[in-house]
Amino acid sequence: MLRRMMGFMVLNPLSGVIAVLAIIVLVASLLSPNFLTSYNMMIIARSLAFIGLITIAQSMLMILGELDLSLGAIGGFCGVIGGILMVQVGLPPWLAFALCLLIGALFGLVNGLLVTLLRLPSLVLTIGMAGVYGGLNLVLTRGVAITGIPSSIGFLGTGRWLGLPIPFWIMLVFLAIASFITLKTPFGRYMYAVGSNAPAARMLGIHVDRVRVGVFAFAGFLAALAGMLMVARLGSAQPSIGDSWVLGPIAAAVIGGVPTTGGIGTPLGAIFGAAIIGVIENIIVLFGISPYWQSMVSGAIVVLAISLDAISRRYFKRE
Amino acid sequence: MAYLSVEGVGKEFPGVKALDGVSLELSLGEVHTLAGENGAGKSTLVKILTGTERPTQGRVLIDGRDPQQDRALFKTIAYVPQEINLFTNLSVAENLFMPFSRSHAGRWLFDRRGLEARTRPWLERFKIAAQPSDKVRDISISDQQLLQIARACTQETMKVLILDEPTSSLTDTEVARVFEVVRDVIAANCAVVFISHKFDEMFEISDVISVLRNGRKIATRAVGELDHRELVTLMSGQEVDITARMQPEGPLGDVLLKVEGLCGQGFEEVSFELRRGEILGFAGLVGARRSEVMQTLFGFLPARAGRATLAGEPWRLGDPHYSVAHGLFYLSEERKYHGIFPGQSVRRNIGMALLRDTSRWGVIDAGRERREVARIIADYEIKTPTMARNIALLSGGNQQKAIIGRAMACAPRVLIFDEPTKGIDLRTKMEIYRLMKALAERGVGVVLVSSEMEELKRCASRIVTMYEGRVSGEFDITDASSSALVAAIHGQRRDDHAA
Repeated sequence: MLRRMMGFMVLNPLSGVIAVLAIIVLVASLLSPNFLTSYNMMIIARSLAFIGLITIAQSMLMILGELDLSLGAIGGFCGVIGGILMVQVGLPPWLAFALCLLIGALFGLVNGLLVTLLRLPSLVLTIGMAGVYGGLNLVLTRGVAITGIPSSIGFLGTGRWLGLPIPFWIMLVFLAIASFITLKTPFGRYMYAVGSNAPAARMLGIHVDRVRVGVFAFAGFLAALAGMLMVARLGSAQPSIGDSWVLGPIAAAVIGGVPTTGGIGTPLGAIFGAAIIGVIENIIVLFGISPYWQSMVSGAIVVLAISLDAISRRYFKRE
Repeated sequence: MAYLSVEGVGKEFPGVKALDGVSLELSLGEVHTLAGENGAGKSTLVKILTGTERPTQGRVLIDGRDPQQDRALFKTIAYVPQEINLFTNLSVAENLFMPFSRSHAGRWLFDRRGLEARTRPWLERFKIAAQPSDKVRDISISDQQLLQIARACTQETMKVLILDEPTSSLTDTEVARVFEVVRDVIAANCAVVFISHKFDEMFEISDVISVLRNGRKIATRAVGELDHRELVTLMSGQEVDITARMQPEGPLGDVLLKVEGLCGQGFEEVSFELRRGEILGFAGLVGARRSEVMQTLFGFLPARAGRATLAGEPWRLGDPHYSVAHGLFYLSEERKYHGIFPGQSVRRNIGMALLRDTSRWGVIDAGRERREVARIIADYEIKTPTMARNIALLSGGNQQKAIIGRAMACAPRVLIFDEPTKGIDLRTKMEIYRLMKALAERGVGVVLVSSEMEELKRCASRIVTMYEGRVSGEFDITDASSSALVAAIHGQRRDDHAA
């Protein structure tokens, strides 16, 4: 009975990742009194907010069997454009914010159109586009941050509600939206169809390319949102904002049950994957591990987590 | 003495007993056919014979010894799977001798010339019309099929060759080539295990036939002691009329679909008419481009020229979405590539086509979807434990029924069936024939592309033949002689033939 329950839990992709997260949290709270404090939880929530938005975007693309490696660059570039619009052009902050989200969606749209019209593999194309967006970013800023962001949008980055940062709540709202789209709407079904067998989807009369372009645009929108929230939080538009948003979200999605081959998994699972990585990185800092060791340790723990997951899954499947 | 004996073998998967107390013996120098419907346990038995699954009951002895103790014994068993399983970007020679470690192709350095030289005799022996250096993706399907068999035979230790439906995508002439090879292998004192759904082939090539049903062995008979009818009864457990004609009855209606001068990938100037209330058959060799014509009409492939009308309305080519929205469906012979969504549940697979009915204001009504899918599962007798099951785990026949049920739920006006019974057992075949007949009688236009002459003669009201991308004849089923049909399929026009 117990064995069967465990088997069910391991085979259900979400419960597996939740169990891993629970174990890590448990171990961390036993080892460090500073882990389960509200201050520390807030720090984790805040970093999860930004990475989480990109993870939602990336996981939706991965369900389609696509990837967008330029999401970080889009986020950074949109943040910089937002800074320029607010500080140098003097647009009202809210208008600038909305415009940036649109621009992000537009960049995503361009990626999607190039992928579908030219039939390019998204991996290669978006590596190139990451260079284009990142390069434009440097051309506009010359690597210097834009300071003096109006404080009226500051609370979007620094404010709190019920003890948790506003960006975290915003991320949860978009997680809910993304989950709704993927699980409850025909468009979401089409995403899974395209991801698991694109020719068969075409045979059913599904507009495969429209689905792809739509998700790319939504991903660009989310990347821009993450970038703008970061600008609001920092009070300045740093050109380097999205630099660390590229590989983490992909690993998070894979840990959370969205393989790069597409067709399965959910954004919610991916967020749990992101939480695992976020908690691990937090623990490393809490334990005072030397910064030189940090990336090696966090990488090793990620590899360990996905290996455990794969092994236990195979074991229970064989039963 | 038997080289391979199966002694009371059973295999239990969680919740399913795939095999139960099966015993049979295989002697060198004979062709032993495994007959049975989909899900009878043939593939599980094959997996046990090749060592990919362990029996949960009983044992297998190879040459009197238990291969579970000495796994090297499994190297005497060569297996050719049903699907083409080659490295399409590598050459014929490389495919033939893969993995190189067993073929002395040079352990450290790759000896391409030597390998290609040693490939030639194999190509001759198997009558494969390709050069050793040709890429496998450029050679014909039948050559690929033969190459797969040749590859199994390069295993020098081979004593038993297992062929799992080696003929399902081959025409009669090509089947004859496979059979020559089988006889060759037998002459070299090996045994062959043959799996097929085609009765003529079983009777032609087998020495012994064993029938499996629901995981049990029902009978083993020498081929002379068995006739067609009896075999069918043994396989299905009931009498099935395998000769009944399945042409739709009732009056012919007006022209539903009219195609004029359609040109596309590899075919030219294809014209035909489909009337309400008939099943229009398409016959031809592999490579006659029948599937391409249908896929172009459906919009999956681009058309170079030509036009079509559906019920008098001009038809837009090149847009599958338009075709589906206007009631023209194409059911591909490549279920795996063009039909199912592997990894997704049966519910999602079927539900995918119902979304317009099951969603309101852009939201899927889960309860309604479940009810609709349950209805289709019941109507089309799709065998699945639950609708949450991954569709890739269902048998081919049940996948096919799911795909047909899904298309039917969309109220089609024209349904194109491309080899709908490929790799499907007899009883399911009959169900599909009945379905097509009922559809045509309800006024849906039915096109049947098939390589099985028997199937076309039983189901189609009219047969259009194609040869190398052109229409080579058209026959009313009532006055079509077999010889004229065969001639047209091989490219002789009807008038040439008469002359």
